[in-house]
Amino acid sequence: MEPVLSASSVSSLPVLDTETLDAATARSPEVLATSEPALLIEEEVAATATTTADTAPQGHQNSFWKIFSSTFITIFLAEIGDKTQVSTLLMSAEFHQPWVVFAGAGTALVATTLIGVWVGQWLSSRLSPRTLDIAAGILLALISASLVWDVLQM
Amino acid sequence: MDWQLLGLAFVTVFISELGDKSQLAAIAISGGSHSPKAVFWGASAALLLASFLGVMLGEGTAQILPAHVVKIVAAIGFAIMSVRLLLPSTAD
Repeated sequence: MEPVLSASSVSSLPVLDTETLDAATARSPEVLATSEPALLIEEEVAATATTTADTAPQGHQNSFWKIFSSTFITIFLAEIGDKTQVSTLLMSAEFHQPWVVFAGAGTALVATTLIGVWVGQWLSSRLSPRTLDIAAGILLALISASLVWDVLQM
Repeated sequence: MDWQLLGLAFVTVFISELGDKSQLAAIAISGGSHSPKAVFWGASAALLLASFLGVMLGEGTAQILPAHVVKIVAAIGFAIMSVRLLLPSTAD
């Protein structure tokens, strides 16, 4: 019953209806875009306010070292015995100039890391925090699975 | 300085690392965190130390740090990070 009724009302007032529809579609994404991040930011502020209320000046320092150490440990362990390490090992064995190989490999690793972090930041400016967390979570789960797979293949 | 060897080492490692798991991890961790600098320094230090050990110790690395134990610990670490990102977090 309802769809028929609304369809007839649309056809009876075509000009007015398309106008209001246009106005609604034009406004709704804008409203969504402005209201949603605002909500998220409020949530974030509330969350950080409750967790770091009493240690406000140390909060940033703490999270820096927390992120630094968790990144360091996982990537270090993942990279031990990886193909890059094997290829640098082979190169230094073949050319007997370990420092030169290390310098070349080291700059390459820092460069790829810089690109990686830059891509991550670029993505975080484009995607909503929740989408990004889910994507990052899935990616890390896949990396974890591939490491388990490597061990099973050994 | 042997520039040719330096270039060879750079190009080999750069190409093999592009899109490899440590770079993907850097993308994921920096995207999900608020401190890209911490991720950059942490990841760079880890990779430099890993390649330093590879170059200096050579085959010895495998004896000091048995590869499958190390990889399983890394897998657990990534899994924990993954779970923390996927569960709607109140911590952090």
